[in-house]
Amino acid sequence: MTFLQDPEFGDRIITLMAALVLVLQIAAVGQRWLVSSIRIFAVQSFLLATIAGIIAYFNHAGHIYIVALLTLILKAGLLPWLLERLVNRIEIRREIEPLINAPLSILIAGCLTLVGYVVAESFYHPEETSVRAALGHNTLAVAIALFLIGFFTVLNRRKALSQVLGLLSLENGLFLAAISLTYGMPLIVELGIFFDVLVAVMVLGILVFRIREAFDSMDVSKLRKLRE
Amino acid sequence: MNTLPVGTIFALSLTAYSTGALASLATWRKPALCRYICCGSALAGAVLGGLAAVFGILQGTPVRWSVSSGIPLFAYSFDYDALAGFFNLTLAILAGAVSIYSFSYLKEFEGKRNIGFFGFLFHLLLLSLTIVFTTANVFLFLIGWEVMALVAYGLVTFYHEDRETRRAGLLYIVMAHIDAGCLLLGFALLMQVSGSAEFASFRTAAAQLSSGQQAVAFVLFFLGFGIKAGVIPFHIWLPAAHPVAPSNISALLSGIVLKAGIYGMVRIFLDGLGILPSWAGLLVLIVGVASAVLGVLYALMEHDLKRLLAYHSIENIGIILIGLGAALVFRVAGHPQLAAVALIAAMFHTLNHAIFKCLLFLGAGSVLHSTGTRNMEELGGLIRPMPVTAFCFLIGAVAISGLPPLNGFVSEWLTYQSLLAGFGATGGLTRILFPLAGSMLALTGALAAACFVKAFAITFLALPRGTEARHVHEAPRSMLVGMGWLTVTCLALGLGVTWFLPAFDALTEQLLGQRVGTNLISGHGLVLSAGMRHGGTVSTAVIGIGLVILLIPAVLLVSIGARRFARRRGPTWDCGLPGLSEENEYTATAFSKPLRMIFSVLYQPRREIQAVFDVSPYFPKAIRFESEIEPTFEKRLYVPLKDLLLWFSTRMRAIQAGSIHAYLAYIFVTLVLLLLFGVRP
Repeated sequence: MTFLQDPEFGDRIITLMAALVLVLQIAAVGQRWLVSSIRIFAVQSFLLATIAGIIAYFNHAGHIYIVALLTLILKAGLLPWLLERLVNRIEIRREIEPLINAPLSILIAGCLTLVGYVVAESFYHPEETSVRAALGHNTLAVAIALFLIGFFTVLNRRKALSQVLGLLSLENGLFLAAISLTYGMPLIVELGIFFDVLVAVMVLGILVFRIREAFDSMDVSKLRKLRE
Repeated sequence: MNTLPVGTIFALSLTAYSTGALASLATWRKPALCRYICCGSALAGAVLGGLAAVFGILQGTPVRWSVSSGIPLFAYSFDYDALAGFFNLTLAILAGAVSIYSFSYLKEFEGKRNIGFFGFLFHLLLLSLTIVFTTANVFLFLIGWEVMALVAYGLVTFYHEDRETRRAGLLYIVMAHIDAGCLLLGFALLMQVSGSAEFASFRTAAAQLSSGQQAVAFVLFFLGFGIKAGVIPFHIWLPAAHPVAPSNISALLSGIVLKAGIYGMVRIFLDGLGILPSWAGLLVLIVGVASAVLGVLYALMEHDLKRLLAYHSIENIGIILIGLGAALVFRVAGHPQLAAVALIAAMFHTLNHAIFKCLLFLGAGSVLHSTGTRNMEELGGLIRPMPVTAFCFLIGAVAISGLPPLNGFVSEWLTYQSLLAGFGATGGLTRILFPLAGSMLALTGALAAACFVKAFAITFLALPRGTEARHVHEAPRSMLVGMGWLTVTCLALGLGVTWFLPAFDALTEQLLGQRVGTNLISGHGLVLSAGMRHGGTVSTAVIGIGLVILLIPAVLLVSIGARRFARRRGPTWDCGLPGLSEENEYTATAFSKPLRMIFSVLYQPRREIQAVFDVSPYFPKAIRFESEIEPTFEKRLYVPLKDLLLWFSTRMRAIQAGSIHAYLAYIFVTLVLLLLFGVRP
């Protein structure tokens, strides 16, 4: 079992997982069932937690285990559970037609991945040929792509709830970028971010509820009426 | 003489104004007490401010003091030099008169309006003006400038129930902010070059300005200060805002707030921008001529007493700019002595206009206070119930018309003299421009006289035309005292001009390095001369004495005649048509008709007559008459500008779709573009 001590093996695993996260993200773009979207998010968060765990293991950084654990509990467990409960309560299971249809959305997501790689390229310095730089290079591209696709999801969806999902995956992108570049930010920063996300979801959940009450719909396009 | 406590007294005056502002607010629930506090502290501030200014002028050397604020570039620095002293003195004279006047004037607000709030704004206006005239720091200047604009807005819209008032206030605040924007840009440019926010640094940095920068700065400042001063074509806010404000405020607005624009021009054009090229001076001169002539022409067509006065402010600002423009041209042409004379003319006219315009507005305020109308066509015969007001108004009218021996005459005469000298002192096209400007100034003077014959005669002479003017009484005593003080100042500055003129030496020495005061005075201190070869001479004192001497036989003749012949009263000859009433009197519209016809190209008058008759058109039952002149600047300049702005705004509104998705898309696209942009090495 010597490969378990080999950092290069760990980096490959991380790259693989990051690729999976990206695939899931692109899958979420084409997804129309709310519950499926939430579950995709849950799996994505689980993979992120695993990445964090692997980084912690190979770098012998104790506090990242806590981060990984928190990710697992909050993002892979609590938040999906909260959101699913919300879906059940407001009894809306399907996203109505997004602004841009599914095939085109996936195409755009692909382009955004490309943008992520182009941007990450500029941070990549070939003279530093160490493995860690290569790892940063790949995961940073994935992280930027995650971020952009998450943003794109937010503006592509009509339902406030699926926008929340987009926002959460955007945040996942940030998390990935942070953890893969720095090998763990100080714990207090991580805790702050988790707390932020939790509060954001709660506030947004209430907001979704209110929007639904006021407009009889979760469609944020109706907020346009506020202008008059 | 350098131990006079200028700074201390000045600081006390600022304290009086600021405590007055707070005390007025604090006592607003007790209107009578509040009125005492409001007028008392303003008067105290004015007296202290005036004292500081007189000391400052006597002392002759600038007093500077500066308190650091801890914020970079911003300091509470003051520079009490000759220019500051001059404007502070002008302010103090007016503030004193208006405070006394307001004591009775505000009485009618008791129980109806919030005197505390009025007093608060009033004190802030005086405070901000004092700061603007004295500060040496750009930021403090701009803060004072902006406070002045906002407070003036509050005062203009004091009768805010009126739709007209609100519209005027809006127009004013929009123009005020355009001007503040121009100033901000101009100062930013200067500060970039000098690296400091002190006015003194601009003086030394002026040499580093390229001619392009200098031109841009000049245009920005001319726009900014020109809007505040109300020069044509930026004058439109002035005839709208001045009539609707309470009359004591109109007097301050017209008397001193406009002068803040003049102050800024003198401070920056003569001191901060280096030697301006001659086109700049000529531009100021030409704009001045246009403002003078057009201002008085529009004034002639007004029947609203306060609007008429507001248009006259435009005219007089024009006259001041003529002097200032001439000074700028002479300076660059290498005639500093002439420049000093022209500058004295401009500054003296600034002081004079402030005093007599304030007097006239206060007089109009008394009329409005007693009759409740500003429409001259409904007034008439007020000289009998209101003799003191009528006398004060008459003195103001004589002064503003530029008739000897009053102060308006002296400053206009000096302006003429410098314009005539300009013909010999310059070459090329400029040479022709000076006599042309002089002739336009002559036209302005004549038209102004015609206009005030109209204003005085229609308002105070003949019989009352409307019901409002029937049962009126003289204004309360404090209002008369306020006006009387200004009347006395008018007479003193006119008859005793030779005593006051040397006081301008410090001013011209500071700005132009010349002392010409003594050159201007000859004949044992009684005769005023233009201070140049082939220049004219005049003596207001002699004219005044001559008038009194002429008056004695007239008075004697009248008193002898009254004893010898009994006074007979008889009806006016009515051409055989009985039923002649006051309504058949000569009206203001009729009086200005010849001029309306002569200048019809400008006015584009429109009139409409409708007769209602039963049997034959020769026996009309009623006739409806309507006449108006085209508001050229509003129609030709501002309406297209406004339309363009609205069109642009409507286009811009499409971006503000109100859709969350659209907003998100803006952010997203910007983000992606920035990311890609950042990738480029």
